[in-house]
Amino acid sequence: MKRSILHMLDPMPNNSPFDINMALDAGFDVLMPYNNVKLESVHGLTQDAIFSRSSAGIKRTGLFIGGRNLGLAIDMFNAAKQAMVPPFAISVFADPSGAFTTAAALVACVERELRDKHGKELAGCKAVVFGGTGPVGVATGIIASLAGADTTIVDHLYLDTAVDMAAQYNRRFGCTLKAAVASFDKDKIELLKDVDVIFCTAKAGIQVLNATILKEVTQLKVAGDVNAVPPAGIEGIERGDVGTPLIHATHCKAVGVGALAVGNVKYQVQHALLASMLETEKPIYLDFRDAFVKAQELLK
Amino acid sequence: MEKPFILHMLTTAKNLSPFDVNMAMDAGWVSAIPYTNIEASEVEGLVQDAIFSRSSKNLKRTSIFIGGRDTKQAMDMLKIAKRSMIPPFEVSVFADPSGAFTTAAGMVAAVERELIQKFSTTLEGKNILVLAGTGPVGQAAAVIAAKAGANVRIIGRQLEKAQYTADLCNAEFGEGKTNILAGVDTDKVEHIKTADIVFATGAAGIELLSAELIASAPQLKVAADVNAVPPAGISGIDAMSNGSPIIGSISGAVGIGALAIGNVKYQAQNLLLKRMINCEKPVYLHFEHAFEVAREYIKSTQVKSFS
Repeated sequence: MKRSILHMLDPMPNNSPFDINMALDAGFDVLMPYNNVKLESVHGLTQDAIFSRSSAGIKRTGLFIGGRNLGLAIDMFNAAKQAMVPPFAISVFADPSGAFTTAAALVACVERELRDKHGKELAGCKAVVFGGTGPVGVATGIIASLAGADTTIVDHLYLDTAVDMAAQYNRRFGCTLKAAVASFDKDKIELLKDVDVIFCTAKAGIQVLNATILKEVTQLKVAGDVNAVPPAGIEGIERGDVGTPLIHATHCKAVGVGALAVGNVKYQVQHALLASMLETEKPIYLDFRDAFVKAQELLK
Repeated sequence: MEKPFILHMLTTAKNLSPFDVNMAMDAGWVSAIPYTNIEASEVEGLVQDAIFSRSSKNLKRTSIFIGGRDTKQAMDMLKIAKRSMIPPFEVSVFADPSGAFTTAAGMVAAVERELIQKFSTTLEGKNILVLAGTGPVGQAAAVIAAKAGANVRIIGRQLEKAQYTADLCNAEFGEGKTNILAGVDTDKVEHIKTADIVFATGAAGIELLSAELIASAPQLKVAADVNAVPPAGISGIDAMSNGSPIIGSISGAVGIGALAIGNVKYQAQNLLLKRMINCEKPVYLHFEHAFEVAREYIKSTQVKSFS
């Protein structure tokens, strides 16, 4: 049998070591990084990849799309799909910054706690995403919004950044993201007044919500944090928390989900999707939607 | 299932050195992935990306290599990488910019062997000139030898640059235990009179020590040259020299050429790359560890040759 190859396309100067580890662990024999890849190069690279192996060989060939920009990753994903010439076609998986799988895991973990501890669904809940203009934040917002939550993405500096992002991704994916800015404690308290769900996807090592803010929230049901580098993004959440009561949110019965709990599901989702590229008979095309379905499946 | 061994190879240059890639594969790493044009500010992000996608058991099968061409940059990146670990999520890191750490280690260890075997002495208290010593190999060799107790002087074409390099070595790599001095090329005639050891670490094809200078070195014991391309950096030492007498030396000095150094260098780099595969706890490796394993390797060959 021919060795399996994953061509890893990245618009950035380097690939993510996280994805490299994951791809090799999922069973790919050879990983080939392609850096500084431009959108207009994707068509040519894809066709180069499909035409040098027989139909048996191309089953053992996949394309991974990384980078840090969600919109660009989706454009590259679509360009790769359109470049296939059946039966010369290979599987493609987009997961820029691992954001699709991280966001999928985060939303699925929070959804489960919402169901288990509060008997609620995302639909009908009000959600806020801190760090909402970063790759994981936007993807989290899109998935939560498409799942029916009334979702606001929050930038910590500029309202315009959040507004532009929300408009762009609403247009792309038909979601209904709202935008907000919150730099100071009082902005955050105001924003969280009637919020049911908090997603914290801010930069590692940055505390976004402290105990003072958490004491003011009254409607909160579940908070999820993807920051694994201390201090936690939400004070009082431990990395391994799964549905653990949020100690500082004294005016509601909120529970928290920590970064390692999310990371564990993310890991399984990314692993499963990468592995499915090697197992599939027909080429598959995987993005955040498939990641979310897989994460929900894993948590059942 | 055992996870495959992955070495994430970071370099500040626009490409990895194929030398290092071959070495990594031959040491047992299954996948060697390049990360190029890396700046120090990117190291923390890359490290944390690398450590969080494997369980702590499988992190033992994951490591980071730091290449590039600049000694201080590589050491800074090694420090940042070490600081970026979040135990138990941590991996081993090995810095060897331009292969300079292992080359320098190979050279100093080979010189030390000659001192012991031919002159029944050690590096302790010896006067060493590092000719064209402002580059990565010269810097690492100077620090390794100084830490072993030698009096080291880095010689450059410009005194200012040599002084800057000596200061850098003392401040950044010597941990306050070294007092490396500087000298200018035009004063070689003077310095050679008291030199016990010469390291020639210049660019290929430049003669740094002439036959006349060798003839005017009354206490020279060992001279080593990393240059493999003729003309040799030190007159009378060819690439194959491995302890052979230098013709024209009035003190019976012996020479070590580039291939002899390269052999020990190869072994040292191989051993450190393997150490990352075999260690139970993460290790952070640089020129000091390179010298350690170069010495071990030389010891092991001696045991073999005696038995």
